[in-house]
Amino acid sequence: MATNDRRRFVHHLVRAALLTGFALFIAHLVMQDNLGLYIAPRMATFVKLSALALYVTAIYQVYAALQAWNGQQAADCGCDHEPPSSITKNIIVYGLFILPLALGFVLPESTLGSSLAAKKGMTFGGAETLQASSGGQATLPAAAMDSSAGGANALFPYDEYTKSYAAYGKQLVQQPAIDVTDKWFIETLTTIDLYRSAFQGKTVTVSGFVYRDEAMGSEQFAVSRFAMNCCSADSLPYGLMVKSDQAAAFQKDTWVSVTGTVEEGSYDGGPILQLNVTRITPIAAPSSPYVYPDYNFDQQFDS
Amino acid sequence: MSVVYRFGTPLLGVGCLLMLMLILADHGLIEQLSSIDSEVLQSFKLLFIGIILETFPFILLGVIVSAILQVFVSDERLARITPKGPVGGVLFGSLLGLLLPLCECGMIPVVRRLIRKGMPAYIGMIFIFAGPIINPVVFTSTFTAFRGQPSMAYSRLGLALAVCVIFGVVLYKFMKRDPLKHDAYSLAKANNGIAGIYEHDHSAGNKGLRGRITATLAHASDELFDIGKYVILGAFLTALVQTTIDREILLSLGSGAIQGSAFMMGFAFLLSLCSTSDAFVASSFNGVFPPGALLAFLVFGPMVDLKSTLMLLATFRTKVVAAMIALLFVLVLAGSIITGHLLM
Repeated sequence: MATNDRRRFVHHLVRAALLTGFALFIAHLVMQDNLGLYIAPRMATFVKLSALALYVTAIYQVYAALQAWNGQQAADCGCDHEPPSSITKNIIVYGLFILPLALGFVLPESTLGSSLAAKKGMTFGGAETLQASSGGQATLPAAAMDSSAGGANALFPYDEYTKSYAAYGKQLVQQPAIDVTDKWFIETLTTIDLYRSAFQGKTVTVSGFVYRDEAMGSEQFAVSRFAMNCCSADSLPYGLMVKSDQAAAFQKDTWVSVTGTVEEGSYDGGPILQLNVTRITPIAAPSSPYVYPDYNFDQQFDS
Repeated sequence: MSVVYRFGTPLLGVGCLLMLMLILADHGLIEQLSSIDSEVLQSFKLLFIGIILETFPFILLGVIVSAILQVFVSDERLARITPKGPVGGVLFGSLLGLLLPLCECGMIPVVRRLIRKGMPAYIGMIFIFAGPIINPVVFTSTFTAFRGQPSMAYSRLGLALAVCVIFGVVLYKFMKRDPLKHDAYSLAKANNGIAGIYEHDHSAGNKGLRGRITATLAHASDELFDIGKYVILGAFLTALVQTTIDREILLSLGSGAIQGSAFMMGFAFLLSLCSTSDAFVASSFNGVFPPGALLAFLVFGPMVDLKSTLMLLATFRTKVVAAMIALLFVLVLAGSIITGHLLM
């Protein structure tokens, strides 16, 4: 066997092992029901398919290794794919592929929490983001908010950007107790935040992990979730401020279900949507710790 | 002895890494490490692997399209559909993304292939920068992320098209040499000796369908490792930036139109997000930065970022890459400030 063939044989085997490793890692995540910690459900099918493709490629690498062993010229495309001949370079390159596998298999699974939320910057409520994303035009006419005309329409003024939130708000406000569901976590928080005065005194239940920062009072923490678009890297923390005299008893990153009444609190020198807590229950971390923005939210209220 | 050396050392190296990992795990060193900053490490791991997993389907799609192009599309066919004149060529390169909706990770192997297949280099390079933005998937995600602000999605598309057309004209005027790093011939010669080239020509072309499928697989798996190492490095750095640097610190660095745009372009460069998902990150900075700066983030990021620069450097000559990045930076900076003033 020529030197070149031996080199190819080893490279093909190493590559086969790495490709199999990644395929198995994805399979492992799927079987442990942990794939959702890394990527959004709508991406899951594509990632599973890519595991299949990785596996097929791994099989091809074994076949190519056997061909190299027999000294046959492998099917080559004549491009500059030849691996570097320096052994150090090869170890660095293959080490790069081993690193995520090692981290993935060795470290125990966990969820994103306060540490990253602090780095990324918590978004409270959500109305602020909505106003910003409509170029500041979503600010509601203040006069309409305390209009004496009464009726649902006066309490829920809207413009073209907040129409669906107003429609959803009118539905929500009629419920005796509002449950902030995973499905519309951001949408519900935004609606309540946007029409804060209409929801004053309403009972709301929300679940998430405990988040604290220095600007909060000793009786405050935020019930938070990470909202994911495509993968864990683009997820952003959203939270609802709660106030309770037992707040200090709950460690950061504990998962809790909180029930309380809507009021206006203060945070960092400004007003903020806040729940005055009537009940806090520790809960187990949900199997799907993230929430996902619903891109079809607007269409639910088209009439 | 040389047999053992050739065989054993790479395997030994990989084995050592694995052993080191197991030893560390066994002695609880990893636990110790993680107890120091376990939350940061856990977040890092979640982001790092998340980005890699998310890009897998896109890389594979790009690699497969690239491999199919390589093995099945003949030079003649491509030459037939590629316009001859510079005007048609620039537009063809800018709008090719509508037909091949790949993100930037999948783009470069395809382009390298197309240029090798005889597409004029300037058209291929326009496609590298236009393709990740001017395509239906990215338009939809931008539209969704800025649903209260549809002008953002349109101006992203418009600015990218304008920048690419100007960029293309400049390339057409000034670039005469082959921008690719090595040509296939000299490389194959260096690696296999002259005989290898002729042998390869026969092995890839004349074996019928079975030979072509094998060649597609061979090509796809090699390219997977070529591109994969840059994606993993990019994911590593992105996860590191996101888990260790406060957003406030980043934000305090840029305010004002020029500063904001320039800063967001630098930020996009560092983050190296996929163009299908970066609009959501940009929308989270809404209100903190002026719309022009967000537009700069959305247009510059997919064209040039850490991940793609590393891939560009692997494909094109260093001088060419530096000149391209400088030109694009100026064009996007000016364009985003003007658009910011006019539209928003």
